[in-house]
Order: sequence, then C-alpha cells, then structure tokens
Amino acid sequence: MNQTVSKEILTTDGIPLKVSLKKSERRNKIRALLLVAPLLLFILFTFIIPIGDMLTRSVDDSYINTVFPKTFEAYKKWDKQGTPPEEVYKEMFLEVKNGTGYQIGKASTRMNYAKSGWKSLLKKSKRKFKKIGEDEGPFKEKMIEIDKKWANEDYWKAMGEMIDVNTMGYYLNAVDKRYDYDKNTISQPDNRKIYNKTWIKTFKVSVLVTLFCLLLGYPISYLLATLPLKYSNLLMICVLLPFWTSLLVRIVVWMVILQQNGVYNDLMVAAGLIADDNRWKLMYNQTGTIIVMTQILLPFMVLPLYSVMKTISPNYMRAALNLGASPLHAFWKVYMPNSIPGISAGGMLVFVIAIGYFITPELVGGKDGQMIGNWIGYHLKTTLNWGLSAALGGILLAIMTVLYWVYNKLVGIENIKLG
Amino acid sequence: MIKAIKATFLGLLSLALVTTAYADLTFVSWGGAYTASQQKGYINDWNGKVTVENYNGGLGEIKAQVEAGNVTWDVVDILPDQGITGCDEGLFEKIDNSAWKDDLVVPAVSDCVAPQIFWAYTAFYKKSAFPGKKPKTIKDFFNVKKFPGKRGIHTWANATIEMALVADGVKAKDVYKVMSTPEGIDRAFKKLDEIKDHVVFWSAGSKPLELVSSGEVVMSLAYNGRIGAAILQDGKDFEYIWDATVLEQEYLAIPKGSKNVAEAQKFVQHAASAKSLAGIAKYISYGPMRKSSIGIIKKGEPWFNTGVDILPHMPTSPKVLKRAIVADPYWWADNGAEVSERFGAWKGN
Repeated sequence: MNQTVSKEILTTDGIPLKVSLKKSERRNKIRALLLVAPLLLFILFTFIIPIGDMLTRSVDDSYINTVFPKTFEAYKKWDKQGTPPEEVYKEMFLEVKNGTGYQIGKASTRMNYAKSGWKSLLKKSKRKFKKIGEDEGPFKEKMIEIDKKWANEDYWKAMGEMIDVNTMGYYLNAVDKRYDYDKNTISQPDNRKIYNKTWIKTFKVSVLVTLFCLLLGYPISYLLATLPLKYSNLLMICVLLPFWTSLLVRIVVWMVILQQNGVYNDLMVAAGLIADDNRWKLMYNQTGTIIVMTQILLPFMVLPLYSVMKTISPNYMRAALNLGASPLHAFWKVYMPNSIPGISAGGMLVFVIAIGYFITPELVGGKDGQMIGNWIGYHLKTTLNWGLSAALGGILLAIMTVLYWVYNKLVGIENIKLG
Repeated sequence: MIKAIKATFLGLLSLALVTTAYADLTFVSWGGAYTASQQKGYINDWNGKVTVENYNGGLGEIKAQVEAGNVTWDVVDILPDQGITGCDEGLFEKIDNSAWKDDLVVPAVSDCVAPQIFWAYTAFYKKSAFPGKKPKTIKDFFNVKKFPGKRGIHTWANATIEMALVADGVKAKDVYKVMSTPEGIDRAFKKLDEIKDHVVFWSAGSKPLELVSSGEVVMSLAYNGRIGAAILQDGKDFEYIWDATVLEQEYLAIPKGSKNVAEAQKFVQHAASAKSLAGIAKYISYGPMRKSSIGIIKKGEPWFNTGVDILPHMPTSPKVLKRAIVADPYWWADNGAEVSERFGAWKGN
C-alpha cells in the first residue's frame, strides 16, 4: 500500500533510488579519476610544470635586480652620456663590496651575457674592493684605477638591458636583436648574427626531411598495405629493423658510406661516374644532415601511412577504374584523398621530431648543418645562459602551436589517424 | 609553494639527466681512454666503492642538481672555465689545497678544484700522407697551398682562434693580448677564412683519428692523449706537429651538497696526490699538473704501461712547452659565449 502512495522510489534497503544512484555515480567518478590520477600527475610534473618553469626563465631577470637594486636605481637617473656620475659608481662599489661572493659570481655570469668582460671585471673588483673602506669616496677614480674597464661606457650601457625584473631580452637575443641602454630594440652586430639564419635552416631542413620521408615512405607504405601477407611481412621487417637499431650505429654507418673517402664516393669513382678530385661532399654539412635524418625518421612516416592505407578498401580503386578513370586519375581522385589522414599524421610526426633534432646535426652537421637544438644545448650546458635556451625553446613551442592551429584549420585535427 | 614545485621539477630534471645507482661515491668523467687511465691510475687502489659515470662536460647538469638540492654526483672532472664559473656561482664545495698549493706547474683556477692533468689541442698527420716535405709548424697547418688537402677541426672555437693567430705571425705569449682587442679576433677569423673551404669539423674525440686514418683529411687537430694512444697502443704511423699546441687544464671538483661530501673530500685528496697523477700517465700521455709527479715519472721511465718512455709524448715536455700556448680560462670565461656565436656564424656562412 505504502509504495503506491509514496512518489519516491526506494531501493531494497530503503534509501531513495535517486540518492543511491547519485552515490554510486560519484563513486564511479572518483574511481575513474583515481585511475587517471597517476597519468595526470605524471603529465603535470613532467610536462606542464617544466614547460611553465622554462617559459618563466625566458623572461626572468629578477636575480640581477636583487643583487644590484641600488645601483639600478641610481642608474635610472643617469642621462646615459659618457660615463655615469659618481653616484652610480658608489652604489656599484658598495653592492659589489658587500654582496656575497656567490651573489656577485652569479650576477656577473648574467652580466657577461650582455657584455663580454663583466665576469672578470667583477671578479677582480670584488677582490680589490676589500681593501677600500666604505667611506673612502669618491669611488669613480679608485675603481678606474683598479681596472680601466670601469671607464668604458660600453659596460655601463650594457647594464641598461637588465634593468627590469621581467625582460624580453632573451627573446630578442634569440632572433639576433638586443636592447640598447635605453631599452630600444636594436640589431646584434653582424658577426654575432647567428640565430635567424639557424631558424631558417632548421625550418628548411625539417620541411625537406618531411618531404623526402613522404616521397620515400608513400610507395613503401602502399606496397606494405597491398602486397600479399608473406611479402609485406618481410618488407615490414625491413622497415622496422633499422628502427630498432641504435641511433648512433646508424649515424656512424652513414658516415662511413657518405664521407668523401667513403664507400659511395669510392664506388662512383671506380665506376668512372665521378672524377677522383671532384668527390661529392655528402657528409659533415647540411646535405648529410638531411640524408641521415630522413633515414632515421622514415619509419615515423611509414607506420601511420601504412595503418591508414590498410583500411582503404581495394574496391574503391577497382570501382574507379571500372568507371573509366585512368590509373593515375583514379589514384589522384580516389586513393590519395583517402590516405590524407595518414599523410598528415606522418607529416606532423616527422616534422615535429625533426624541428627539435639535436644529436644527428651535432654529429654529421659539420659546418652548416647545425640546427636550433644544438644552440639550445650549447647554452644549456656550456654558457649556462638558461634564459636564452628557454627563449629559443619558447619560440620553438610557439611555432609548433601556430603550425598546429593552421593545420587544424586546413585539414582538421580529427583527420589525423595513427591507425 | 612555487619553490617546492620548482625544486621538484629540477629534481626530476636531474633525475632524467643522470641515472644513478646507489654507491659510496659517484665519480663523473669524460669516458674513453682518459677515464680508463683515472680508473687504473688511482681509483682502483682507493679504499671504497666508486661508481664511474660519463658526461659530456658543461655545468648544465651540475647546476640542475644543485638548484634542485638533489645532488647525485660526488666528484666531477671539469675544465678550468667550469672551475671558475662553478666556484663563483657556488656550485662547488671548497677543497683544501694545502697538499699541492706549492707543487703546481700553474696556479689553480679557484679554491674549488683539485689538480689532474694538462692536455693539449695538437695538430697531427699520418706520415704516409706526406711522402716528401712534412708539415712542421702551425703555419703549415694553415697553408693549404704548400700542403694541399683537408684539415680536421673541432666544432667549437677554443684553441682554433689561438692557433690561427700564431699561424698569422703572433707570438704564442702575446696571443691573449691580441685576442682581447676586436681587431685581434677579426684577424683570427681572417686567417681561418684561408682554410675554411678545406675544413672537416668533428665533435667527438675519436673522430679526428678516424678522419686522418681514412685519408678523409690530411691533417687534424685532436686531443694529444688520443694521438698518443693511437701511436703507443695501436701502432699508428701518426706524427705530432708540436707547434702552437694549446695547453688546457683539467681538474676535479665536488658539486655543492653532494651526499658524501666528507668521503668525496678524502677521495679528491687521494686523486690529486703526486702518485695518482703519475699513475694516470701510465695509461695516457697527459701531463700531470704537479711538479713532483713529473719527478716520479722521470725516475720511473720507461713509465708507460707498454714499456716506452712517456715524457716525450706529453704536452708538458720542455721541448713542446717552449712553443705552446697556455690556454687562458679567464679569457674564455669572459668571451667564450660571444666568440662561440661568432665562430658558429663563420662556420655556417
């Protein structure tokens, strides 16, 4: 009786069904969240935070400002004509004298990026300033006596670019520009212009590698997808074996084959196709980088292409041919459009890997095959200019994001298929 | 909070950069014949467990570890400009130098380093490549008309700038004075232009030997110890060009916050003892930084493990030293980044 009167539906243990359902739903949600939690945390700690930290470093100039706050304050009042007034010298003197060795050391590394020579100047001054009392001003002449560089306005002017806690200076450096003493953007001197050229080169190499991978990979994938199983399996092993071979081994093998006294040139000379004194330069330059990278990245093109082609029914082509299309026309109008998801997936994959490539250009790049990744590594390891490294990396990230966006507009990201 | 996140991230970064197994001491060096010489020269008779790892130089990994407060390296083999910058920035522990202070060939670059060896960028060639006249000076190395053929040069700027200037007529002892002027650097690059179209660049230490051996280049710059090993151990017919060799120093340092500081301090005292430095020379032709080690070797000749005299193969032998350039790490700490960028631009153009 009761049941028909009450509008609430109860479960067997007397709890309203709605509440019970909600409860179990929530439990499911928590369980699902717990299941993905390790992955989320993993991505947070190994991807999002590091990238965030890197991007912060690319605009961060706060350290230098904590070491020389008063100097910078006095510096701002200077009219930037000739050498600064005594006031600036005095603050610099006091802050170098009273700073800890590590503070001055770290700051001098930063200042050396702005103008080479700051490092030894501060090191020497720190040592000598000890002997001068804080009340023994004026300091300008005393400092110049210790090192003539203190009278060189170039050093002072270079300080101007570090005056703000947040700076775009590293990004400017990453495209061959810099701040002058008034924070106007100017060009780097000609013989230091290196990054724009490297950017263009990085792009050129990545695009060419992607194209060559497509040209070589497309027919292979087609064969893989259409040959009878026993042949295609063998072919698949041929694609995968190099993929499983150590990267370094493959690079060294290419060196042996392609260098001027290498196997390829020897054979061509023996066959009389190349003159002995005109052997081809295929290694330790950009050509070498492109050849080796194409071979290394080829599987990243073949595998997605193959998995997409595998799903294209042979009946489509048969139908097209049956309706009177020439084989070429049928391929172009029927087969190719169907394989576009694979082309895009492979293309994106190869391009993304290529643009940040490091080890191959390092080993076979020689004089003109170095890419932007090599400079990132150089500043990360050798100069400790992590700001510049981060800025170069940040630009790389921005380029990738823009490309992704353009790609999404043109092809649609849902059209990417890995299988 | 942000600090904690940063620390965690840097910890992960350093974890990614170095994978370490637990051991009493982690000793990090450059690998190859050099690390082997350290292993046999003094690590083996150290009274404790030492794990040896390799790295490619630079302060990047050390900085990441120190900033994260998770230092897994205990002793690192470093170049002098790293010794300067690392000590200035507080990346290294101070080391007691009383044992060797007055025994060094040149003063140590900072208070954070223990001496190891001198090595040198040295030009060399295969004897059979020059049946007639043989190259004898760095001028010959830069003269592609007199000695046609390709030259092997490392991909970074150190030493090449110095050698170019000497080849252009600058005296070895004036090199850094000239390099400290903008015109001096221009002059070096102008000299480098003369061989630019004939250069093959290398970056791994074993590469120049291979390049010269295969005939890919007729002469190359290389680390003298590698040339020495090829001659002494593999019996190659290589010949040094002992002219304008650029002498570089090599030190040990302890990253700040190493988990085994006390042990590491004891270890570097052992590693920098006169006996240990002489021990290295039993297995590689690098020159010890302590005068007393040279004395030990002199008395013990033939000192090298294959039973030949090692002193003539050292970059610190008096005959070589007379015509050598002692690399100035302070100059490179100041100007390294700028000159490297310019060198990169020069290479690519």
